[in-house]
Amino acid sequence: MPLATIVVPAFNVSATIAETLDSLQSQTLKDIEIVIIDDGSTDDTRDVVAPYLADKRIRYVSQANRGLAGARNRGIEEARSDIIGFCDADDLWHPDKMRRHVAHFDANPRLGLSYSGSLMIDNESNSLGISQTPRLKGVNAAHIMKRNPVGNGSAAVMRRAALMDIASHPHGTNRAYYFDETFRQSEDIECWLRFALITDWKIEGIRGNLTHYRVALDGLSANTERQLASWERVITKLRPLNPAFFEAHEPAARAYQLRYLARRAVSGSDGGQALSYLRAANQSSLEPLRSEPLKTVTTYLAAYALKYLKLNPLTLRNRATTS
Amino acid sequence: MKPTITHLLDDATSGGVTRVIDFMQSSEALNAKVDQNLQMVPARGRWPQFEGDMIISHLSVNWRNLPALMALRAMHPNATLVHVEHSYTQRFTALNVPNKDRFYTLLRTAYALFDQVVCVSRSQGSWMATRALVDSTKLRIIRSAVDLTDFAKLPPVSGTPRCFGLLGRLHQQKGFDLAIAAFRQLSDPNLRLKIFGIGEDQKLLRRMAKGDSRISFEGFSANPSQAMQSIDALLVPSRWEAYGLVAQEALAAGRPVLVAPVDGLTDQVQDGATQMTGIGVSALASDLERIANGTEKPAIAKQSAFAMNSKNRFETDWLRLFDEAFAMADAAA
Repeated sequence: MPLATIVVPAFNVSATIAETLDSLQSQTLKDIEIVIIDDGSTDDTRDVVAPYLADKRIRYVSQANRGLAGARNRGIEEARSDIIGFCDADDLWHPDKMRRHVAHFDANPRLGLSYSGSLMIDNESNSLGISQTPRLKGVNAAHIMKRNPVGNGSAAVMRRAALMDIASHPHGTNRAYYFDETFRQSEDIECWLRFALITDWKIEGIRGNLTHYRVALDGLSANTERQLASWERVITKLRPLNPAFFEAHEPAARAYQLRYLARRAVSGSDGGQALSYLRAANQSSLEPLRSEPLKTVTTYLAAYALKYLKLNPLTLRNRATTS
Repeated sequence: MKPTITHLLDDATSGGVTRVIDFMQSSEALNAKVDQNLQMVPARGRWPQFEGDMIISHLSVNWRNLPALMALRAMHPNATLVHVEHSYTQRFTALNVPNKDRFYTLLRTAYALFDQVVCVSRSQGSWMATRALVDSTKLRIIRSAVDLTDFAKLPPVSGTPRCFGLLGRLHQQKGFDLAIAAFRQLSDPNLRLKIFGIGEDQKLLRRMAKGDSRISFEGFSANPSQAMQSIDALLVPSRWEAYGLVAQEALAAGRPVLVAPVDGLTDQVQDGATQMTGIGVSALASDLERIANGTEKPAIAKQSAFAMNSKNRFETDWLRLFDEAFAMADAAA
């Protein structure tokens, strides 16, 4: 049995998956398996992957499309190790990532979810000079709901026993859901938050930006309304688990979410939309303003500049996203 | 002479636990081997020296009574000390304990004072084992039991279930709020939801049920088998639950039982209960719909055999614990 499994959900990723697999093959921890879940790709993902299968550590599994959550769930089913990490087929891992996570788990028997920061890269895999450097220690459900320190879906590595504690068995299927397959967005945050709410496993990060997370800047700003709707669906779904917790933390979490969407709207050069998100954020809670005033104020300035001064959105975007 | 056993409980002890102890004390099989008595202890203050070759704690463990538990150990060096963990579980910890490392330190320290720690469900046992809360040689699982005779005598439900029941304390632990919200999503005017119990969440739950005349609050039921008779299916949507005796009662009564897949309630699934298929109100609503459509059948074929098995298992497990403990004490003497 390998020490760790890396699940690679893949849907129409022929352009990027080779680079992803290169980064996983060169992990300094050699005793790993890599499980590619081809989630019904219609491009030549299969052909791109084929030469990699010479490496006996790499397995290729193909299934009818179930979405990202469904691909990850299948990957968990296929995994043979006690430690399971996820790397989307357009992201890259630092060579030391899995080795360091495994050491983290070995040193902490109560650790269920380990993560690290991420470096944002563009379509050409160049650094955007932006990183996610989240809080690493003392993380609880409130932190997850407000700031999502676990970050993106290629940052998390989980203990199998902990995954078993969040499995559910929806009616009409004999498959286990770890990630909720009814979500097409927000499936990450739904899983991390549920994990924090219903298990006693520790969530902790390790230092370093060990994931290179690919963002298409235009993609991020697209459809903020839909992002908000799916976030609200997460909250509605999970609220009954612990109503008192949500009463205490939901307004602030919503304010953070709205501010995030305002920044996405700024990236998309929609100053008016950004301002309306910011107003809604302030109505929900002033906590983001109190705890991160600079970030809130720069978002405001960027939104105002866009809307009233018609400043060059490109310059603004850079300023707004790097602050 | 038969060895004597003293059960310790405090004022925080719930009705369910009291009934388990009643069941032990009224068991002929156990009484043939040991003499049992019951001792109430104050949650604060000093405890006296207790009689008994074995002292069984049904107390809640917390930092405040840790010194008293240490004194208990020190004052009874020759007695076998057993703790039955009636309350703590994984979900309890997840939902109620901000500092989990500190809490586990408390549990490890407290459990280390006892010769045996009894888990009331298999899932609680596996939680304690995987979190290394107690030495594996001290850990044992004795699934709780109460007298199911009256429940086993109830006529089983015929036809599709029309009346859902919730039985228990009106407290957020029991998740009745979730069941009320889900029930309200069902449109069938012939369905009923009966809620038996009292507790601090009474007002909140009544507010949630307001305007839906299908939902009724039946108050505290002194006769649980009568309450069980008046419903067609039992819902146990608890947020945490060490074992969930009420599910055993409903299974013995031949009722379909729907439980949240939480802690000790997963033991109930192995006994024939159905588990909720997801998280949240709408998932529960669709589960209720399926029960109302009659697609979920009660899984217990013979009610009396179920009740008998539960009793036999409980007695056998306790007798084994007694035998081993007293044989060991004799060997030491």
